[in-house]
Amino acid sequence: MISFELLFPISIVAGFVGAMAGMGGGVVIIPVLTLLGVDIKHAIAISILSVIATSSGSASAYIRDHITNLKVGMFLEMFTIAGALTGAKITLAVSPKPLYIIFGLVLLASWLALLFARHQMGNTGPQDRFTKWLELEGSYPDQALGEVVHYKAVRAYFGAPLMYVAGIIAGLLGIGAGAVKVLIHDLVMGLPPKVSTTTSNMIIGVTALAGASVYLMAGLIEPGLAAPVILGIAIGAFLGTRLLVRMSNQAVRRFFLFILLILAVEMIVRGVRGGL
Amino acid sequence: MEDPKPGAGQSANASALGETKREFDMDAVVGYILLIGVLISLVLVGAALIWRWIDTRSLSFDYKITGMNLFELVLVEIRLAAQGAFRPRLLMSLGIAMLMLTPFIRVLASMVYFMAALKNWKYSVFTAIVLLTLTYSLFLR
Repeated sequence: MISFELLFPISIVAGFVGAMAGMGGGVVIIPVLTLLGVDIKHAIAISILSVIATSSGSASAYIRDHITNLKVGMFLEMFTIAGALTGAKITLAVSPKPLYIIFGLVLLASWLALLFARHQMGNTGPQDRFTKWLELEGSYPDQALGEVVHYKAVRAYFGAPLMYVAGIIAGLLGIGAGAVKVLIHDLVMGLPPKVSTTTSNMIIGVTALAGASVYLMAGLIEPGLAAPVILGIAIGAFLGTRLLVRMSNQAVRRFFLFILLILAVEMIVRGVRGGL
Repeated sequence: MEDPKPGAGQSANASALGETKREFDMDAVVGYILLIGVLISLVLVGAALIWRWIDTRSLSFDYKITGMNLFELVLVEIRLAAQGAFRPRLLMSLGIAMLMLTPFIRVLASMVYFMAALKNWKYSVFTAIVLLTLTYSLFLR
């Protein structure tokens, strides 16, 4: 068992790095825990619990700021939750080796998505009939632009099954998979970046709960490991988010993204070599 | 520049003043449910660690949760506490349970909102599906 005194500061750093890179702490803590000798399935289970804390904490502020779209969130949650249950069941069934490789590949893909993301304004044109029937439209007060931004989502029929896949990734790997969800919201459903990011944050918490329930029942959530990770990542993410909004220098963010790249490659290499 | 409308993040169709007002309130309620839930769970976990440190000069918990869903976990801990076994792990388990229940309570509140306040049956059904799936996952065996 890793001591609290070691795991707590490591978790603070993981939460901080994850937030500074624009991802959650889960993508950092899972590779670190496995390097410290924790079985990857236990690491995934503990990480998904910390995801509930960090995503719910930040979603709280966004919802109160009236940016999050509850209807978009509620509709898509039906699919991500089912996906998370599927993903967590797969994790319990497979050997650790493919988990390392899939984790590394997903982290690599998220890294590329974050690095090359080109934000566009939300769709304001006509909606397809299904998305219109779902009432997936809205507006929010944009402080930076100084105006109310109106938008109309599209292609919900395509976004929904893709969100099921995003849910599988989240449940399978114990991460929020926020980068994947935001990509679907942005590129497929035509939501404005702020709405897609904040709504994704709300969805992540509920999705993580579904996955965490499976891992709890499987006996993979050890309170001795979970306590320092939950507290540490929550503190680290809080500090990182506060610093990130004040930071104008993109070079610092690129440094933290570079750390994620190293972790992704390292996980793939360990997976190919046969786990630990 | 247009004036930002309270609750505008929810629906562009929410033009009626009453509905907009309710949406504003609901945003705040949902937001505070998440915030308070997470804070309570972190405080419980922190308190469990402090209690453990005072008792044993150690911060490590070495008990395992095996073969239990969330409600069984809470029931076991409360039963032990009722028998006089009031220990730091009670707070630790309650902290984990509170963390997991926070998004669940948020969905429950959203369902009440869609049913009672907006009377939007389409989204009441969607929210009920989410709630039922989550309930199933929490009762997994």
